[in-house]
Amino acid sequence: MTPFSFGGELFGMWNWLDAVVRVVIVVTAMTLVVMYLTYGERKVVARFQQRLGPTKTGPAGLFQAFADALKLVAKEDIRPTNADRWVFELAPYATFVPVFLVLLVLPFAKDWGVRNLTLGMFFVFAVLGLNIVGIIMAGLGSGNKFALLGGVRAAAQMISYEIPLVLSLLAVAMVAGTLDLNQIAMLQEDRPFIVLQPLAFLIFFTAMLSEMHRAPFDIPVAESEIVGGYFVEYSGIRWSMFQLTEYASMWGFSVFGSVVFLGGWAFPFGEDWGWGWQLALTFMKSIAWILTIFWIRTTVPRLRIDQLMAFCWKVLLPLSIVQLVANGFILVYDWPQELLTATSGGGAVLLIAIIITRSIRRPKNKYVGSYRQVGVTS
Amino acid sequence: MSIWPDEKVLTPGEAEFDTVDMTINIGPQHPATHGVFRMILRVDGEVVVDCEPYIGYLHRGLEKLTEANDYRQAMGYWDRTDYLAGMACEHAYVMAVEALAQIEVPERAEYIRVIMAELSRINSHFLFLGAFGADVGSFGTSFIYAWRERERIYDLFEEVAGDRMFPTYMRVGGVAMDLPDNFEQRCRWLLGSIRQGIEDLDGLLTGNEIFVERCRNLAPMTSERAIALGITGPILRSTGLPWDLRKAEPYSVYDRMKFDIPWRPDLQGDVFDRFWMRLSEMYQSARIIEQCLEQMPKGGLVLNPDLPKTLRVENGEAYIRYEGTKGEYGVYAMSKGGNKPYRMKLRSPSFCNLSALREMVIGSYVADAIIILGSLDIVLGEVDK
Amino acid sequence: MSNKAPARSGGLPPAARQRPRADLAALVRKIGSIPFEVSETRTDVDVRIAPEHLLALVDALHNRHELAFDYLRNISGVDQSPEGMELKYHFYSFKTGYALQVTVPTATGHPHVPSLTGHYPAADWHEREAAEMFGFVFDGHPNLRNLLLEEDIHIHPLLKAHPLQAAEILQGIESGPPGFTI
Repeated sequence: MTPFSFGGELFGMWNWLDAVVRVVIVVTAMTLVVMYLTYGERKVVARFQQRLGPTKTGPAGLFQAFADALKLVAKEDIRPTNADRWVFELAPYATFVPVFLVLLVLPFAKDWGVRNLTLGMFFVFAVLGLNIVGIIMAGLGSGNKFALLGGVRAAAQMISYEIPLVLSLLAVAMVAGTLDLNQIAMLQEDRPFIVLQPLAFLIFFTAMLSEMHRAPFDIPVAESEIVGGYFVEYSGIRWSMFQLTEYASMWGFSVFGSVVFLGGWAFPFGEDWGWGWQLALTFMKSIAWILTIFWIRTTVPRLRIDQLMAFCWKVLLPLSIVQLVANGFILVYDWPQELLTATSGGGAVLLIAIIITRSIRRPKNKYVGSYRQVGVTS
Repeated sequence: MSIWPDEKVLTPGEAEFDTVDMTINIGPQHPATHGVFRMILRVDGEVVVDCEPYIGYLHRGLEKLTEANDYRQAMGYWDRTDYLAGMACEHAYVMAVEALAQIEVPERAEYIRVIMAELSRINSHFLFLGAFGADVGSFGTSFIYAWRERERIYDLFEEVAGDRMFPTYMRVGGVAMDLPDNFEQRCRWLLGSIRQGIEDLDGLLTGNEIFVERCRNLAPMTSERAIALGITGPILRSTGLPWDLRKAEPYSVYDRMKFDIPWRPDLQGDVFDRFWMRLSEMYQSARIIEQCLEQMPKGGLVLNPDLPKTLRVENGEAYIRYEGTKGEYGVYAMSKGGNKPYRMKLRSPSFCNLSALREMVIGSYVADAIIILGSLDIVLGEVDK
Repeated sequence: MSNKAPARSGGLPPAARQRPRADLAALVRKIGSIPFEVSETRTDVDVRIAPEHLLALVDALHNRHELAFDYLRNISGVDQSPEGMELKYHFYSFKTGYALQVTVPTATGHPHVPSLTGHYPAADWHEREAAEMFGFVFDGHPNLRNLLLEEDIHIHPLLKAHPLQAAEILQGIESGPPGFTI
C-alpha cells in the first residue's frame, strides 16, 4: 500500500470534504481547459483558414482567453424589455449545470473522478437531456424571433439525436456488460471498443456533433441565418456562460467519448505506467477528439433542418437499432467476439457507403473542376 | 394525398390547429444581407410564406449628383455603385460619355480597360464565392480563401491606379495613366495565383457533398421567366441561355478575344448553377486577361490627346449596355449641351435581379431564403444607387 | 462537351448578336395603325409615342414574332421641363437581337402613363423608382409605394426643380404636386 493512493480518498479526508476538493480541482481544470479551448479553436481554425489567429496578447496570443474573459465580465449585462425576466436570466445557468454534472462522473484516471457511479453512463444520458431546458428557456424568454427559432430548432434537433446517441452507447454498454464508466475504461486495457463497435462510434460522433450544435449541425445557432439563435440577446457574463457551456460540453463529451470508445485512461498501458500516463492519455485523446471537431467545423457547410432530421431518422436510428439487435444475438448466444467487429464494421462500411452512394447519385464528382472545360463559343 | 386512408387530408391554408404566421425581420443589419438590405419574411414554421424586400438604405442620389457635376467629376460616384468592381463601373460610365460625345479611345487604353474590368469581375466573383460559402455555413473558410486572391488583385489596382476599391482610373477618352513597368509580369503571376484560388474554392465548395446537397434544385428558374423578370448576367446564363453582352453586342476589344460562355447540358438555373456559373466565368476572365496581355500594343498613348479641357457634349442620348459583374449594367445618358449630363440613369443589374427575390423565396425554408439571397449576389451600392 | 452548340431547354434560340438598326426601324414602321415617330439615338432606334397609345405599341412589340421584344431593360424618367416629362423605355429581344428605345412624353401636370407590369414583370421596380423620383403615376401598377426613398417622404428628387443642397432639411415634408416647390 503506497502512502498516497491516487484513486482512493484524498489524504483520508472526510467524505464531503474530499468531494469538495475534487470538485474544486475539476472546476479549475475545466475553466482552464475551456479558456484554452477558445484560444486553441481560434488558433487552429485560423491555421485552417490561412490566418494567424490571436498574436498580440502575450507570447503567441496566449493570454487572449484572459483578455476575452475580462472584456466579457466588464460588459454591460443587457436584458431586453420584452424578455421574460427570470426565464431569461436563469437560462444560462440551466444550460450550464447539466454539463457541469456530467463532468462529475467522468474518470480522468483510474478510479479518479469526482465520484465513480455504478450507473455512470446512465447518469450522463439522464443529465445531458436536461441541457435542452436551458436552451428552450433562452429561446422563449428572450422575446426575440431569432432566439425563438433557434430554441425550437435546438429542441427538435437535440431530442431527435438523443435517440441514436443513447442507442449507440447502449451497444457499447451491452458489450461491456456494465454502465460504470471506470469499469468500461478498464475493460479496454487491450483493445478499445472502437475496434469492436466502429459503427457505434460513428453514430456517437455524429450525434454528439449534433447535440453540441457544432458544424455541420449548427442549425440552432446558425450565424448566417438566425445570428446566434437562442443566445442572440445575451451579452456580457450571461453570454459567456453560454460559451462556457459550449466548450465545457465539448470537453466533457470528448473525455466521455474517449472513455467509452477509445479506451480512456486504460489503453494503452494505462494500468502499468501509473496515473501520470493515465491523465496524459485522457488529455491527449480528448484533444485529438476536439481537434477533429474543429477540423470538421472549418470544412463543411451547414445542413438544412429537414436534411438533418432525415439523416437522423432514416439513417442513424435504423443503423443503431440493427447494431443493438446484432449485439444482442452475439452476446446472448456467446458467439465469438470477432463477430461484433464484423457486424459493426459492416455497419460502419454501410454508413460510409450510404454517404458515398448518395454523393454519386447526386452527380457531385462531375462538377469538381468542370469550370475549366465546359463552354459555348457563340 | 395521404397514404393513410383515414387521415384527414389538409388543403393548403387549412390546419388542424390554429396557426399564426410569424414575421421575421432580416436586416438591415444582418450578416447574410451583404450590406444594408432588409427583407421581412412571413413564415409558417420554417417555411417562407411571403417576403417583402426593402431597399434604399444606401441611396446616395447618384443620378442627381451626376447631373450636378461635370463629366469628369461625376465619375468618382460611379465606381461606388458596384463597389466590388469599381473599374467595371467606370468603364461603363466612360463608355456612355464616349458614345454621347463620339470620342475615340487609343487602342492601348482599350486593352488596359478590359484587363482592369476583367480583374474587377474576378474580384467581385471571388467575394461572391467566399460570402456564399459563409451563407451556406462553412464558417468563413471560403471567405478567407477568397480574400487571399482579392488582396492580391487590390494590390495590383493600387499599383496601377493608386487606390484599391475606388480607383477612379479611367478617363473619358482613355485611362488616367499608363501601366507601371512591371505590370505584365505581375499580372501573369497574379493570374496564376487566381487560377490556384479558383481551384481551391472549387475543391472546398463544389467538392463538398453537403454544399451540393444544399444548393442543387433550390429555386430553379427557366430562361423565359428569368427574362420576363429582367434577370441578367450569371443568373440568366445559369438558366441555360448563353447570353453575354460581351458576345452579343461586343464593345471595346471583346470581339478580338477568344473566350467561352460557360454552359453545361444540365443547367437549370438553381442556386448551384448560379454558383457554378460564376466560378466558371472567373476562369474565362482569366483567359481574356491573358489574351489582352499578349495582344496589347507595347507602347503608345493611353489618353486621347484631342480632348478639350472641359468636355462639352452636344445634344443627344445613348443607352450603353455593359456586361457588369452582376448582369447588364446599363447607362442611359442624355445631354443637352454643356459640361454636365442632363440625365444619367443607371440600370443596375443587382436592382433588377433583386426584384425577383420574392418570387424565388416563397415556399422555401428560412435557411434556404438566405442562400437564395446570397446566390443573387447583390451589391447594395448598386441596388440603391 | 466543349464548344458544342447547346440544346435549348426552353425553346429559345441562341442569343442573337445585335442586328442592324435600319432593319428594325423598317419593321417598327410596319406596325402602323398607331401614331408614332421613329428616329435614331446614338445607340438605338427610338420610337416616340403618346402615353395613351403606349399599351397598344407594347402589345405589338411584345407579341409580333418578327419583333418579339421579351425583355424590358430599363425605364428612365427625364424631366424635360418646361415641356413636361418623358419616360424612356429600353427593350431588347433575345429572339431576334433587336434593341429599341421607346420615348413617352407626358404633359406638364398630368404624368399618367399605363403600367407595363402586365407585359413585363420586370417593370415593377423600375416603375416604382420612376414614380418616386419623378412623380409619374403608372396606371394599373399593383403597388406604387416608395422604393428607394423613405415611405413617408413625398418629394421627387430627380426633378430639375428639386434643390440639391436643401434635400436634407426637406425630409418628411408632404408635398402634393410633382412640380416640387420649396
